[in-house]
Amino acid sequence: MQRTVDEVFAAYGDRIFAAAFSVCRNRADADDVVQDTLVRYYTHPREFESEDHLKAWLLRVAINRARDVSTSFWRKHTVAWEEYMNDLAFEEPQDSRLFEAVMRLPAKYRAVLHLFYYEGYAVAEIAHILHRPAGTVKSQLNRGRALLKTTLQEEWNDDE
Amino acid sequence: MTNKARYQQTFAVLHASRASLEEVKRMQANHTYRPVRVKRLVAVCAALVALFALSAVAYAADVGGIQRTIQIWLHGELTDAVFQVENGSYTLDVPNGDGTTSQRAGGGVAIDAFGGERPLTEEELLAQLDHPEVEYNDDGTVVVYYRDQSFDITDLFDEDGVCYLQLEEDGHPLYMTVEYQNGYSTSTSRYPAPSGSSVG
Repeated sequence: MQRTVDEVFAAYGDRIFAAAFSVCRNRADADDVVQDTLVRYYTHPREFESEDHLKAWLLRVAINRARDVSTSFWRKHTVAWEEYMNDLAFEEPQDSRLFEAVMRLPAKYRAVLHLFYYEGYAVAEIAHILHRPAGTVKSQLNRGRALLKTTLQEEWNDDE
Repeated sequence: MTNKARYQQTFAVLHASRASLEEVKRMQANHTYRPVRVKRLVAVCAALVALFALSAVAYAADVGGIQRTIQIWLHGELTDAVFQVENGSYTLDVPNGDGTTSQRAGGGVAIDAFGGERPLTEEELLAQLDHPEVEYNDDGTVVVYYRDQSFDITDLFDEDGVCYLQLEEDGHPLYMTVEYQNGYSTSTSRYPAPSGSSVG
């Protein structure tokens, strides 16, 4: 299967952005990652077996690129995510508190939590996307959950 | 509401800019591979910029205009690269050794004590290139490069994901604190604290 850049953006643009933002915590950097991911898509054409395959590839490229961006010069001096939060229209106050709690976690937990809770991937799938051992992903997921529970208390359930 | 439902509702507020797609389509139409970056406000105090400028080690050889061939430290080796400046931003084209070229970009503005802005100068942009680089490889290894020095720090992170590393800068120690996938900070006097002073 092969999709146009327009189709990829329409289907996955927000997901790429959200994954990138979870890593680099900056809107402008995350937009750059969306650009870079789409450029990579059309400059490195390949055959994807399914929508799931395409989505996983896009998220992997985006997260890797976001990691690179996180150590660049721009990253050191851009607008803080706390300011960007003011522009976001959260549905409920709990959403805002969850967003802030996640953003305060170390990056290694944010990426894993995002792929698990937002994208719905299993531990083995996250390990494949992030090129990390499944055991590492599982422990990072558990550690991230525990930190969220500590911060959010009753607003974060014990379900998985 | 389950944690997953709450998480999805929370992060559903994030949306990619349509401008990203338009830029990519413009590049596609023009057969170019160089995105025009969204201009951002970069808060760099003048004193800090001056400090960077003094420590620059990129050796420029003028080839005319605003494009120069320079030598930069890349993966511990001096490498020729094409450095191009435009209105406070730079691009750096670096040969990969296999006939292809990689491109890096950066830039910013300096803000003076009165809030006035100006694009960074070429000298200031060159100074940006004299910073340590942390590379996270697909095989899980983490390597720090600084000038002719390289260190595999994969196994040097503590349980909080922090690594402390001492580099050498012009015969003096440069203390570096790396937070796993969350940026780094350096100091010539002591190891920066991992939180608060992190570049993340």
